[in-house]
Amino acid sequence: MATSYVYKRDATRLFIAMRDNGDRYKIYLPKESKPIINGEEKDVFFIEHKNNFSSFSMNDVMYRCEITQRDQHRIMVKVNGVEYKFSIESIFSYLRRNLLNKGVEVHADNNIKSPMPGKIVDVFVSEGDLVNKGEPVLRLEAMKMQNEINACCNGVIRKIHVVPGQSIIQDELLVEITSIDE
Amino acid sequence: MSKKILIANRGEIAIRIIRSAKKLGLTTYVIQGNREPDAMYLEYADEIISIRENLSDKIIFLNSEEIIGLALEHQIDMIHPGYGFLSENPDFATLCEQNGITFIGPSSDLIRNMGIKTIAKEMAAKAEMPLVPGSAGAITDASVAKKFADKIGYPVILKASAGGGGRGMRIVEKPETMERHFKSAYDEAVAAFGNGDIFIEKYLTNPKHLEFQILGDKYGHVIHLGERECSLQRKHQKLIEEAPSASIDTKTREQMGKLAVKFAQAIGYYSAGTIEFILDEDGSYYFMEMNTRIQVEHPVTEMITGADLIEWQIRVALGEKLKLKQKDIKFKGWAIECRVNTEDPQNRFTPQTGFIERVFFPHGDHIRVETGVKDFSVVTPYFDSMIAKIIVHGENRDDCIAKTLSALKEFSISGLKTTVPFCRTVLRSKEFREATYTTHWVDSVFTTDMLESEDEAMMAALAATITYAKEYLQYSSDSPMFKSESLNVWVLNKRINK
Repeated sequence: MATSYVYKRDATRLFIAMRDNGDRYKIYLPKESKPIINGEEKDVFFIEHKNNFSSFSMNDVMYRCEITQRDQHRIMVKVNGVEYKFSIESIFSYLRRNLLNKGVEVHADNNIKSPMPGKIVDVFVSEGDLVNKGEPVLRLEAMKMQNEINACCNGVIRKIHVVPGQSIIQDELLVEITSIDE
Repeated sequence: MSKKILIANRGEIAIRIIRSAKKLGLTTYVIQGNREPDAMYLEYADEIISIRENLSDKIIFLNSEEIIGLALEHQIDMIHPGYGFLSENPDFATLCEQNGITFIGPSSDLIRNMGIKTIAKEMAAKAEMPLVPGSAGAITDASVAKKFADKIGYPVILKASAGGGGRGMRIVEKPETMERHFKSAYDEAVAAFGNGDIFIEKYLTNPKHLEFQILGDKYGHVIHLGERECSLQRKHQKLIEEAPSASIDTKTREQMGKLAVKFAQAIGYYSAGTIEFILDEDGSYYFMEMNTRIQVEHPVTEMITGADLIEWQIRVALGEKLKLKQKDIKFKGWAIECRVNTEDPQNRFTPQTGFIERVFFPHGDHIRVETGVKDFSVVTPYFDSMIAKIIVHGENRDDCIAKTLSALKEFSISGLKTTVPFCRTVLRSKEFREATYTTHWVDSVFTTDMLESEDEAMMAALAATITYAKEYLQYSSDSPMFKSESLNVWVLNKRINK
């Protein structure tokens, strides 16, 4: 029986904000906890959000953000009098677009293979989950030792080839991840 | 019966003048035109003179005859022109004099003389003011120009005597290029003005702009109230001013102050005035010009001296003696003024016009705000873009910079963009902190990404994402297509696998 999905994240809550100067922000908006920006949980408090204003505090500094222009996914925000332009995408449209641009070999190196023969004890994720690089995706027992196998990149779990209890050999394909890194 | 004063101006300076005038018990009059019928300054005056004007008419504040007509109609005793508009128009001052109205400022002759640069410089030379080394008369030959430049040192600037707008102007860095530049300046001057007279002057590569505040009465008593540094400029428009200046020491300050007073006395100056100097990197300074009006940046001087310059302008105009003596003028602490213009510093300072939805100014003991706008004010295209000045006093320069930065942080406005982020960037810059900035700072150091901050950009990204996500997530939970997350991912995976 698999343990609860500690790391399970809802991929519909991941967005890519691309600034006009090319800076990219991967922003995950959890239902209750703090936002994760570029893989890092930020100490952001949400103060209010009404009309065109959102106010946050981060590290005890207040940021009052005003949406000054909105054209579908293109959004302009003014903070302390300075404007920043973004185009926002959901992770799905982002991946689709990347896929169309890059062709099929997008995920060539993003597969997790078993480093040793053993038995799968636990799978922490399910297909479609979002993972950060270095986060454990499954637990493998080998030589009476339990090892956590970590995600090789930031991305969405595309396919899981194993189930708990399954015996595996070395280099067997365990999990495929669609990378959302550059 | 109290005297009637007409303020022939608008915006923050009209309100500022009203404040001092009321202190002196005067009845204040302002003019309401069609261009800004709901302007904030109108609320502060005792009386409003409404005029009917077409938008094609000349702006009322520039129309001498009409203002004099209105003044006579309302039995106005004195007119304060503020700055800009008619404040340095000698003909307007003459009209006031002819119609028995007191013009608050110096005599029309003084305004006229100081307005003509060559005459002002001649008078300055007579008063032994240092002038930028240059040729006394026109030079017509490149070899003479070269000899002269060798004497005063390179770089030099060649100026067409009939010139203007940069035409017929050349900067010569070294002797070898003199002949070439001289010829092109000459040709350009002949082509543009039909006059090939060329002057030659020492060119200051990295100058600072300093000015001394002068106050004098009609009986020959003149004092100075120290200097202001106004080197932070863009296209000759000042954006930040400070008093005193960190670029000169006490000894130089005394010297320059004495020179300024001596010059003002020599020309018989009265009222408030400003003597502008240009300061070279090697510490030498030269007279530039004299302004015969109250200046936008006068509050920094008031903050460190405690004097009310506009009150004194009015008192002197009424014929009172200037009671302040030079020894009464003590400088206390430091003051910085930031101009709040509705211009977009991210986009080449393009002026912004429109509706101010909400504006919030900083408050505090050491903060002074002069403004002509409030919530729901409209910034029209008819007048200049300065809507406010934020002036902050500190114990010393560092303290003042820190206090100004926190005051600017409190400022907020929605609807229009302003120069406030630019001012913040300046105050944080190394050059400003070390007081090494010159008039070239905006052109040579400033870039728009200096306005940005990593954390602000990240919070902006978060705000934009939340705005987008609110609709997107609602859409994904409402629409049956997106009801099941796995379906959503399944569609995606299928495409990826294809």
